Amino acid sequence: MGKFEPVLTRNVGVPHSTDLKVYELRGGYRGVRKALKMTPEELIDEVKDANLRGRGGAGFPAGVKWSFLPKDRTTTYLCVNADESEPPTFCNRVLMEHDPHQLVEGIIIAAYATQSQVAYIYLRGEFHEQFHVLQKAVDEAYASGYLGQGVFGSDYSLDVYLHRGAGAYVCGEETGLIESLEGKRGWPRIKPPFPAIEGLFRKPTVVNNVETLSCLPHIIERGASWFTSIGPPHSAGPKLFCISGPVNRPGCYEETMEITVRELIERDDLGGGMLPGKKVKGVLPGGASMGALTADELDMKMDFDDPRKYGLLGLGTAAAVVFDEDTDIRLVLRNLARFYGTESCGQCTQCREGTSWMYKIALRIEEGAGRLEDLDILLETARNMGMMPGLSICGLPDGATYPIETIVKKFRSELEAAIRAQPPGRAQEMLRVLN
Amino acid sequence: MTAACNGRLKLMPKIIIDNKEVECREGASVLEAALAGGWNVPHYCFHPGLKVVASCRLCLMEMKMPHPKTQELDWAPKLVPSCQTHVREGMEVRFDSDPVKKNVENCMEFFLLNHPLDCPVCDQAGECHLQDYSFEFGRAESRMVDEKWKNPKKDIGPKTLLYQDRCVLCSRCIRFTEEISGTHELTLVNRGSKLEIDVFPGFPLDNPLQGNVVDVCPVGCLLDKDFLFKKRVWSLESTPSVCAGCATGCSIRVDHAERVVHRLKPRYNPKVNDWWMCDEGRFGYKYVHDDKRVTTPTVRRGLEDSTPEWADLPGIIRYRLEENVQANGSEKVAAVLSPFMGCEEAWLLGKFIRDAAPDATLVIGPIPRSGEDQTFPIGATGDDIRFTISQEKCPNRRGIEMVLEAAGGKTLDFEAFVASATAGAFSAAWVVGGYPAEWLDKKLAVKMAAKIELLIVQDIFENPLMGGAAVVLPACAWVEREGSFVNKAGLIQTFERAISPPEGVPQDGAFFFALAGFEGLYTGERVREQMAGKIPAFADAYEAPLKPVHAH
Repeated sequence: MGKFEPVLTRNVGVPHSTDLKVYELRGGYRGVRKALKMTPEELIDEVKDANLRGRGGAGFPAGVKWSFLPKDRTTTYLCVNADESEPPTFCNRVLMEHDPHQLVEGIIIAAYATQSQVAYIYLRGEFHEQFHVLQKAVDEAYASGYLGQGVFGSDYSLDVYLHRGAGAYVCGEETGLIESLEGKRGWPRIKPPFPAIEGLFRKPTVVNNVETLSCLPHIIERGASWFTSIGPPHSAGPKLFCISGPVNRPGCYEETMEITVRELIERDDLGGGMLPGKKVKGVLPGGASMGALTADELDMKMDFDDPRKYGLLGLGTAAAVVFDEDTDIRLVLRNLARFYGTESCGQCTQCREGTSWMYKIALRIEEGAGRLEDLDILLETARNMGMMPGLSICGLPDGATYPIETIVKKFRSELEAAIRAQPPGRAQEMLRVLN
Repeated sequence: MTAACNGRLKLMPKIIIDNKEVECREGASVLEAALAGGWNVPHYCFHPGLKVVASCRLCLMEMKMPHPKTQELDWAPKLVPSCQTHVREGMEVRFDSDPVKKNVENCMEFFLLNHPLDCPVCDQAGECHLQDYSFEFGRAESRMVDEKWKNPKKDIGPKTLLYQDRCVLCSRCIRFTEEISGTHELTLVNRGSKLEIDVFPGFPLDNPLQGNVVDVCPVGCLLDKDFLFKKRVWSLESTPSVCAGCATGCSIRVDHAERVVHRLKPRYNPKVNDWWMCDEGRFGYKYVHDDKRVTTPTVRRGLEDSTPEWADLPGIIRYRLEENVQANGSEKVAAVLSPFMGCEEAWLLGKFIRDAAPDATLVIGPIPRSGEDQTFPIGATGDDIRFTISQEKCPNRRGIEMVLEAAGGKTLDFEAFVASATAGAFSAAWVVGGYPAEWLDKKLAVKMAAKIELLIVQDIFENPLMGGAAVVLPACAWVEREGSFVNKAGLIQTFERAISPPEGVPQDGAFFFALAGFEGLYTGERVREQMAGKIPAFADAYEAPLKPVHAH
């Protein structure tokens, strides 16, 4: 296998890569010119052929998503999900920081394919610099006639607006994002109707991730078959991977989805191996929500299908965080539980109460007052929430339970040992104080 | 199928719940169908008058759905919110199943995780759906041993308290302020288990419909300051009634105990008020228990005052009226019928007067008005109006008008009556009040009383006419009477007697009944039978109180 040439990150590190001129000199805005000569239907078919699966986490094919839009619609909105709120994830940030025009080009292609008149980029509130970089790129595109009335001299017009969120995890959920964009509380909506039928301002809406859109110029320029030739069959195309934790080269790297977690950690051009003296204890390979792997499961492929075989929710954002042998697993458990306890939007009962309950239990275990039965309660609570058994409106509780469940299941012996090592009577004393 | 193809001919869809066939209303949700069919399906966030949010996740059921690939109907692997799913012909759902029961049981445990379990001091206890559902579906003990998070208790408005620690976050109250009152005072702050219902700083919950948020609250989170710690709800007795506050005529329920009214609650009536009532009506009953009420009848002859027995009064009044008619002629008699009287009472009094003096004038009492009609959501017009508070602050103008029309003969409005009475046109008059507030101009009243030889004044409170009256009679408030009101839209609504009148006072209707020469027990129904001869609409005025399509 030949060495993989970066596609999405090819401009990263190039001086002034955010300038429109530099982007065009390096071959930018060619895809969109080609796309505007095609019909929207041809574009959708092309993207379907490329089997471009959404990079936001769920891996739903973008072309199929677009084809759900009703045929007789008059107004369509495109929302760009740049909320990137998954804990160890920063791929979209890299793309927006270093190559904003690639995203703008992708937006024009997607908007043209879906015949959207307006595109909103929903940025998470903490993205300050990225906002300015992106706004500058959008302004440049407007000034050059690439956005606004008659894009690239065609009949097609498109307006792009940036909207900054206030920093809530749940606003990365597509209907939560739509609500937030409408100026409301970011509560995911009940479905049906799905956004493709009734989304933003009650009009047909498509929500796509930054990385998904950034793939589009390349698919159009080089063709669907080029795209499918990269990586395994069901997980085609280049993908950004993040790696963090005690590794030598934490960062964001572009690779095919053929790599394994081990490669991501060990390879010299990727993670570069563990820091001296550190050994892998476990990995959260797909952002926090997908679940944990033990050191024995590092051969998992980072594609859309393999994670399920390891009891994980999916590929997620492909952002791995490694924790080493010295890390107390109780800390990991508590930290994850705390995040979801505070980020649950509070709409559905099971998620609102379940996540905070799990956090309380995890906190008590960390403080050395755990009970063995707490682990079973954690597992049961985890089973009693989530979208998959139909118990919630959005997928947040699924993402909240997978890490807890996999950690309790896969690291149970360690947790039990820690609980057994507590001073006798510690749990009872704590309960007495609490009640 | 026919229903879908043929818009005109709508068949009632039939669905199967727990292997039993249930017929349901087209367009209803599965939850509504199940509730109407007698299933006790737990639910908090669903309210038929508000938008569906499907967030409490209590009403989930198993449903047969078309398989995404084969399109064959099969049990879906997920539970589905029944409030959000509309019925389709032939649909099959399961409520009595293990996954459903398990979910409800878990939900009830979740709801109580941070709940203070302070039922002994909670006003909602006894009509609380956390209690009911926990008892029916929950488990006896919580498995949470950790510290409970204490969400704060808040004073959110002049009439309402919010105990966040008891809240189940069904968001009904928020949706009420958004969809019905249109005032948007309530919102949510924070996230997760620390989520709170709150008002915006400086904008308390203070709108004319705010009391309804306490009604829609399925638990003890929103509390009425007026009812706070007054009475345990299980010692209250409820009587269906009609609000006498304005011409809208909301269907209400009078909750009372030991001859004291403790609160009024709206009663579901799709023709009038749906599920709601206004604060003016809700708290407007207080005058019923005022100390200053007139409670004893007084008869004057010359300078001599006497307090006769109630049983003797009809004879005394009849004698004095006849005496007056013989002396001055029957056209010099008038009766003022108050728009606070029931139709039956007005009809009986009118009949008595016209029997004694066939040429007597019948007058409709003054109609209290204030401002304009208030429509809700605020600013709504036409079909968007969900609730109206009428500017006409009396319950029965239309009813009195109907009675006057049927009675025929000479009728006057109150202004014309006052003008002719002060000019000495009448030598005998029966004036009925019953207004909660002052309703007579003092100077005019004194002038009028001086000109009328035989003045019979009947009122709840003392009024300036009484000084010159020959007979003063106490009147009863509407909760002490039975009868019917006709609201401004012309709908006849009957109301029952909730509490008994002050010691010894008979209810107005019963007194008029005896006066008009009827024998036996007074009931609204008996009088309406009589009235139906002249006004057919009264033949079947009684409607049994409706059970709303939801359990609470």
